Amino acid sequence: MTKPLEPILTVSMPPHVHCGRTIKGYMGETLVALLPAVIMSMIAFGMGAMRVVALSCAVAVITEALCNKITKREQTIDDLSALHTGLLFAFLLPASAPWWLVAIGAATSIVLGKMIFGGLGATPLSAPLIGWATCRISWGAYMDTNTTMLMSDLSAPLQQLKFFGLKSIESIDSITLIMGKQLGGLGEVQIAALLAGGAFLLIRRHIRWEIPISFIVGLLITAWIYQLIDPTTYASPLFHLLAGGALFGAFFLATDPASSPIGLIPSLLFGLMAGAMVIVIRVYGEYPDGVPFAILLANLFTPLLDRIRPKPFGGPYQLTQDPEDDAICAKCCE
Amino acid sequence: MAGTKIATAKRKGEGDMHASLSGTIKAVTIDAMLIEVSGEERTEGEKKPTDGGDNLKEWLRALGVNVKFFDKAATLIINAVPPEPGISIYEPLLRDYRKTIELGLDTVQRIVTPSKMFLVAAKGNRANAFANCTVSHVNPTYPNGIDQMVIKSVTGQEVLIGARPDNAVLLSVRDLYFIGRVMETGRPVTETVMTIGNQNHLIRIGTPVGFLTSETGATVQPNDRIILGGLMRGMPALNLEQGVGKRTTGLHLMRERDTLKTTNNSCLGCGECERHCPARIMPGMISRCAEFKYFERAEQFHIHSCIECGICGYWCKAKRPLLQYIRLAKYELALLRSSSNSIQTDTHKEETGEQTGENE
Repeated sequence: MTKPLEPILTVSMPPHVHCGRTIKGYMGETLVALLPAVIMSMIAFGMGAMRVVALSCAVAVITEALCNKITKREQTIDDLSALHTGLLFAFLLPASAPWWLVAIGAATSIVLGKMIFGGLGATPLSAPLIGWATCRISWGAYMDTNTTMLMSDLSAPLQQLKFFGLKSIESIDSITLIMGKQLGGLGEVQIAALLAGGAFLLIRRHIRWEIPISFIVGLLITAWIYQLIDPTTYASPLFHLLAGGALFGAFFLATDPASSPIGLIPSLLFGLMAGAMVIVIRVYGEYPDGVPFAILLANLFTPLLDRIRPKPFGGPYQLTQDPEDDAICAKCCE
Repeated sequence: MAGTKIATAKRKGEGDMHASLSGTIKAVTIDAMLIEVSGEERTEGEKKPTDGGDNLKEWLRALGVNVKFFDKAATLIINAVPPEPGISIYEPLLRDYRKTIELGLDTVQRIVTPSKMFLVAAKGNRANAFANCTVSHVNPTYPNGIDQMVIKSVTGQEVLIGARPDNAVLLSVRDLYFIGRVMETGRPVTETVMTIGNQNHLIRIGTPVGFLTSETGATVQPNDRIILGGLMRGMPALNLEQGVGKRTTGLHLMRERDTLKTTNNSCLGCGECERHCPARIMPGMISRCAEFKYFERAEQFHIHSCIECGICGYWCKAKRPLLQYIRLAKYELALLRSSSNSIQTDTHKEETGEQTGENE
């Protein structure tokens, strides 16, 4: 048996076939789903939007490459995940954001949001939201879409609701909001384009219905309760859904694979929690839009929610030194 | 001579090995035997015992039938669901060798003495019941043909791999066919039924896979895989001279470009494995534990519930070798628990399962 045997065969563990889906494919299709919103944002905000998107993506990719270099790991930028993170982060920024803010935010998203935890898949929190939160807390004035874009004649629905009350948003109808004619993060307000992208991801089964739907339901129910309490102070559920980044959060941020739970019940709870939190923050919080913080908070619950598990096949079992277990061992030696 | 006993099973209940052709034993390795084939002579058939029970059981065992699970039980389940995509041995056996299978079933009944019998078949396949036998159908989707899933569909019990169902015995149509053959001829089991391409063949145990591939007209290129069994659970052959084993149910030749090339990507946490897992466990988490040698922790994620269907690896976006990680962790756990008794671990390796023969 020692003579060389030709041809040399490949030996590997089963399964030998694969569904054909890869990380790169997943990221690529998510980027495709985001493309309509990118185009819409450029139409709405012009070169400013393109500048922020391009800068954010470039910085994210370069930062990841540098991190891999420093930690002497295999280069991972070709899986498109850094590009994905950079694009998501750009979507949360106002088109007027200064270049250094974009660069710091994108770099923070990658370093603090992703690489410090070990890279893709290990992130306990949604990476672009880490960058966003850092910028929002540190340089709040620059992140404020309303004050930095005084030149624009678009309305900023959430800020108006926050500071001028329900009366000021009466003139804004849903169609205007759906078409993205509002101020906010440059991509997160392109509601129609994001809905199309979200539907594409759902159809391609890259994301499951549980989290987006329960997120929206949680948001609508909470907003509806507030409206029942006092219709003269609180805005309608539909307004809350269409204004700001609610739908962007539901389809693209809350569904981040690593930081969201998996099972049916955990996913539903996760979505409901995040959706409800959005309204709570919008009503009581200091910030006009509560979506990013709501999702970050819900992310923290993920490990806890993931403990809600169905009973394993045949019930829990611990291997003992019983001779009966020979059979189990034999199986793995095969 | 063909039919001579060449190896005895070390583990209780497993069948002995017999030569499938006559010849001279040239070499013996730990898991194989090289036989130079010289002719067609074969042993005479042995006399059949007339009584049932343990006597019959031992007689069958000595003739190469695995009788490990032949206990007295109230329920007898016959598995006629194709075990994996691409393996279709059960249906033609049921159709063309009904007499033999009936004889096999009678024999098993004498040992098991069941009060209820079930024939489980895939929806869409014709299955005519035997006497006193209820036919039930399951969806023809993988992994419904795996023994554990079939037992669950009939009795509702969830039986771990390697464990026995409570008061039930499961046999495949294939098992019954070979028991029937032994009863007809009195000669030991020296053949296996395999799906090769679209056809099913009766192949002598120990036939080199290279011989089979050349018979089908295929040429094997370097880095191809020859898979003994199905694409989801089968083991690849080491080289073209490896013989087919007693439990081999199929042969697949996979070109290099079609195969799954696993990577060492880290787990993405997307949960596809978990959603598709029939055992309702978290293969992703278990693989992470195994990757970093936290085997005890893998146990807390219910690694022993795994029925080793391979579906997790099929769906993994990161192309992680999930089943391999699970098996590694199971193996390490078994070593860990039996470390006080090192002899025990050695015996595991000495399997008398497969044998290599050389056709002239």
